[in-house]
Amino acid sequence: MFKKILIANRGEIAVRIMRTCREMGLKTVAVYSEADAAALHVLEADQAVFLGPSEPAQSYLNAQGLIKAALDTGAEAVHPGYGFLAENAEFAEACEKAGLVFVGPPGPVIRDLGNKTVARKIMNAANVPVIPGMMTTSTDPLVLAQEAEKIGYPVIIKAEAGGGGKGMRIVSDRAALEETVISCRSEAEKAFGNGALYLEKHLRRPRHIEFQILADHHGKVIHLFERECSIQRRHQKIIEETPSPLMTPDLRQRMGQAAVAAAKASGYRNAGTVEFLVDQDGRFYFLEVNTRLQVEHPITEMTTGKDLVREQIAIAWGDPLSFTQEEIGQQGHALECRIYAEDPEADFFPSPGQILFLQEPSGPGVRNDCGIYSGFEVPVEYDPILSKLIVHGPNREAARQRMIRALEHYAILGIRTTIPFLVDVLRSPAFTRGETYTDFIDCHFPTWKQSEETAPLAALAYGIDELISGGRKPERMINKGIPSPWETLGPWRMGKP
Amino acid sequence: MKYELRIGAKTFGVEIEESGKARTVNAKVDDHQWPVSYQAVSPNALHFEVNEEAVRAYLARKNGEKHIFINGRGYVVSEKHFQSGKGRTKKKWEDSPGEVTPPMPSVVVRILIEEGHWVEKGQGLIVVSAMKMETTLKAPIAGEVVKINTALQAKVMPGDLLVEIKEGTKEDE
Repeated sequence: MFKKILIANRGEIAVRIMRTCREMGLKTVAVYSEADAAALHVLEADQAVFLGPSEPAQSYLNAQGLIKAALDTGAEAVHPGYGFLAENAEFAEACEKAGLVFVGPPGPVIRDLGNKTVARKIMNAANVPVIPGMMTTSTDPLVLAQEAEKIGYPVIIKAEAGGGGKGMRIVSDRAALEETVISCRSEAEKAFGNGALYLEKHLRRPRHIEFQILADHHGKVIHLFERECSIQRRHQKIIEETPSPLMTPDLRQRMGQAAVAAAKASGYRNAGTVEFLVDQDGRFYFLEVNTRLQVEHPITEMTTGKDLVREQIAIAWGDPLSFTQEEIGQQGHALECRIYAEDPEADFFPSPGQILFLQEPSGPGVRNDCGIYSGFEVPVEYDPILSKLIVHGPNREAARQRMIRALEHYAILGIRTTIPFLVDVLRSPAFTRGETYTDFIDCHFPTWKQSEETAPLAALAYGIDELISGGRKPERMINKGIPSPWETLGPWRMGKP
Repeated sequence: MKYELRIGAKTFGVEIEESGKARTVNAKVDDHQWPVSYQAVSPNALHFEVNEEAVRAYLARKNGEKHIFINGRGYVVSEKHFQSGKGRTKKKWEDSPGEVTPPMPSVVVRILIEEGHWVEKGQGLIVVSAMKMETTLKAPIAGEVVKINTALQAKVMPGDLLVEIKEGTKEDE
């Protein structure tokens, strides 16, 4: 097995990967930018290497800097996490060329699947159903307008190199097409360095269901069941669950087979996710393959009992899969809520700033994959994800209640977060009934304001706190009482167990 | 002690009196009055019982405001007359409906209009980017663009007036 791995990422996912590495007895190397000098992932690693300025292009996207950091520290493998260079074929190839093992699929597979129109062609050839639409791309608004007429409105604009909702918009009529195309092109150029776009028919009220797959270097491909990711805002998932409330054993079997076929058709290796849209009639269509560990992978871990990062590392080392399709079961129900630094009262606009106080929830069946701590300054340069709260329960309703309980005791003070909004979504009758479609938020929460039923209690708390703290300097209220990671992580960073 | 507190657009009158018993006060919020027993769990966590209900409040202070979290709800509480002293004056929308300001620190990536243009209410004016997300600032009213106070790649803050619009329609001229 490897002795040392470099984690080419930041935030909660870097911390999560390091935890498994520690359990496997592997040394970890963190990388960081100026803005992240005191970030949690830096404190969690055995070693940390400074990459450069906060601007992603000069730090977490700097492939040569990352490879040099790995070689300098004697790391044998690079885990890319998600985002940044995780789905960058050139980076995967550059790692291999430098003698480093890239924990993910081979470069050419990432390239094929990352190019959404090439992926559509591969799946079409393998008889995996694809959404009606273009098989080629364009940057020309007029060409795209002609294609849209052929497909029929509403259409969805997508970036060839897409992911995370960047460069992606729904257009319902001809009038809005041109301006939207220009906006998507610019967003795609910035996010992926590739402004090429294509169109698909926009399905009405689909569900977003994806299958986790694992493929080893010995020709074995299995799936670890589905994840339902329909609750989205701005095409980014915010709540995920497994099993899907929609799923029937028959549909699960057919979609699982399609996912495995998709992986085999593309020559897939390591962990990946095959995403599908399922329409109102229960027909499913291939959407894309995410050639990396997904943000929402923990819900699969909770219901299957497998550590996906451990499996990724074992596969990268060359081990055959240690279990068969038949040996994997789904137990209970898991939910994940993404905690973003965003203001849900202001159209989910980003809300960076300093965390004045953090209280993580705990208790049975609760897992918090977290990248922040009290006193941490959330940078404006990166994605607004702070943490992921995951719960596991014997069934959907128990998991839902558990998630509400955990969210209600998850205090992140100093910035706006999605927590109060998530509580209301989980409590809503539509979510409780499992009516999760991708337009869920537009339908049920088009505008949202926090209810103020506990505002008088907050006023009361203010008064009592004044009484208790009378004369205490305000600054003393920040960052005291609960030990910060600086204090708790200090001793064992010195290399002593 | 008496406080006039502001939470969002609402104000609350709060009175706290020592009861003579340890960690128990008589509290009044607007027209409601209760005995309240409390326990400071830590400087950032306060437990209290009011009206036979146990409440766990998490608190932090910054710049004269208290950030308070109770049962999944977050509040920023301050004394009524407290002014957040950040130097820049954030103009109230009602006072100046034709002024366009970004909702948070961001960078201007596109300017969609020019001075002298007539715009419709809701028309896109300026595109800003923050935390990798692009947002189009839209015209709050219909009218003439009288001033653009920003440029491409400028770093802008809430309160900065990026565009000023004079209300009206072209036909009024």
